[in-house]
Amino acid sequence: MEVCNVRHGYGRREVLCGVDLVLPPGALTGVVGENGAGKSTLLRILSGELRPDGGAVRHRGRLGYCPQQAVLNDAFTVRQHLEFFRTAYGLRNLCRAEELMDVLGLTAYAGVRTGVLSGGTRQKVNLTLALMHDPQVLLLDEPYQGFDWETYLRFWELVTRLREAGRAVLVVSHLAHDAERLDRLFHLRGGVLHEGAEARA
Amino acid sequence: MNRTGPGRGAWRHLATAIRFALIEHGRNRFAMVLVAVFVPIWISLAHLVVTPGWVQIRLRATGEVLRAGGDELTQISGALNAATLIVGFMMFAATFASGDFDRRLTMAGYPRIHLLLAKVTALVLASLAVAAYATVVICLYWSPQRPWLLAVGMFCAAMTYGAFGVTLGALLKKEVEGMFTIVMISIIDLTVQNPIANPVADNRLTDYLPSYGAMQASTAAGFSSTVPFTDLALQLVWFTGAALLAFLVFDRRTRSALPAAPACASVTVG
Repeated sequence: MEVCNVRHGYGRREVLCGVDLVLPPGALTGVVGENGAGKSTLLRILSGELRPDGGAVRHRGRLGYCPQQAVLNDAFTVRQHLEFFRTAYGLRNLCRAEELMDVLGLTAYAGVRTGVLSGGTRQKVNLTLALMHDPQVLLLDEPYQGFDWETYLRFWELVTRLREAGRAVLVVSHLAHDAERLDRLFHLRGGVLHEGAEARA
Repeated sequence: MNRTGPGRGAWRHLATAIRFALIEHGRNRFAMVLVAVFVPIWISLAHLVVTPGWVQIRLRATGEVLRAGGDELTQISGALNAATLIVGFMMFAATFASGDFDRRLTMAGYPRIHLLLAKVTALVLASLAVAAYATVVICLYWSPQRPWLLAVGMFCAAMTYGAFGVTLGALLKKEVEGMFTIVMISIIDLTVQNPIANPVADNRLTDYLPSYGAMQASTAAGFSSTVPFTDLALQLVWFTGAALLAFLVFDRRTRSALPAAPACASVTVG
């Protein structure tokens, strides 16, 4: 995925003032920034959910987007969500989704309606829906919100495996404590991305 | 990753979307209670409270002057009011609650036309059930001349308001805004053309109200031997217009800024 000079604002407040970013295959990229810095706006633009005021976004291959707030339908069970998205993605089976559920400790909740699940478990479903079609570009907006420690570690193992499989992964967070797990770290500040030592500082 | 071919996908998309739309409506227990309780209570109250004295009304569709019981007329307008409100509420609630989810589905590749056709299928079934139920309850109190036409009138009105519900559900940001809008449209629509409040029906403005055709058809069903096909057709025009608007709003609400090309996609602005 290539992002070139993306700009976006809400009213007179400009949130993104010319963001440039390349997500190469087999790389784990992180974007951190304070609350309101524009991280979710950037991801919504990269996923196609939001049209930017200016700039260009190009990508090849399947896209997987895990939004910050779990986007689920409370009337359906976990399994029904998977079946609905299996049809959307055009998948023959749910083998990969079942593997992901197993890794994330979600299998026991397959028959439970998402409306009665805890925040962390809803987030696991949210993440499973984003990954079940084996996307080549992954956009993850604070994907481990509400996870317990063990699931948090499994999440990073999973993301590391995806990177090794050649997937381009972008993880957005408001904290930089996962910096050592990332290949590249950017700090979104003043509407532009700062990389490397400047970002870590 | 194993994927299904595009040719076989259309029916699967439609069947799956319909199945889940029906599951979603089935979970709306409050709407079920409304249908089961609200419709008979409204019709029964009209029978018990409103005077059964004869009223002379002019059927605008045919120009006939009809003689009808006040309680019977009120039952018809009350049943129309109940059908439009309940079906409008059901469709609004489902569309509003699943707005972001529908968008996520379309961005994952689900054709929005199939999601919309599933909503239309649910709308047809809900409208059929409510119209048939209200007609049966009315028939427990008296015998309309053409019960089937009464059901058709209510069905068409419910379909129109259901399409309003989808439009508002995809357009508005707050749930209370949509509920209030549907209630206000229904109150204005049906109060202004209520045959008891306006027995002469000499103002052409009523012709442009969303349930005018349904009200004319339902009143004719109760007390006339004629079938106002033109007015039923007018009601279908209202439904078609409302459904088209719902499609445009839903399409805009669920559209992705990135073209859905699997090999390479891009968006460039400015």
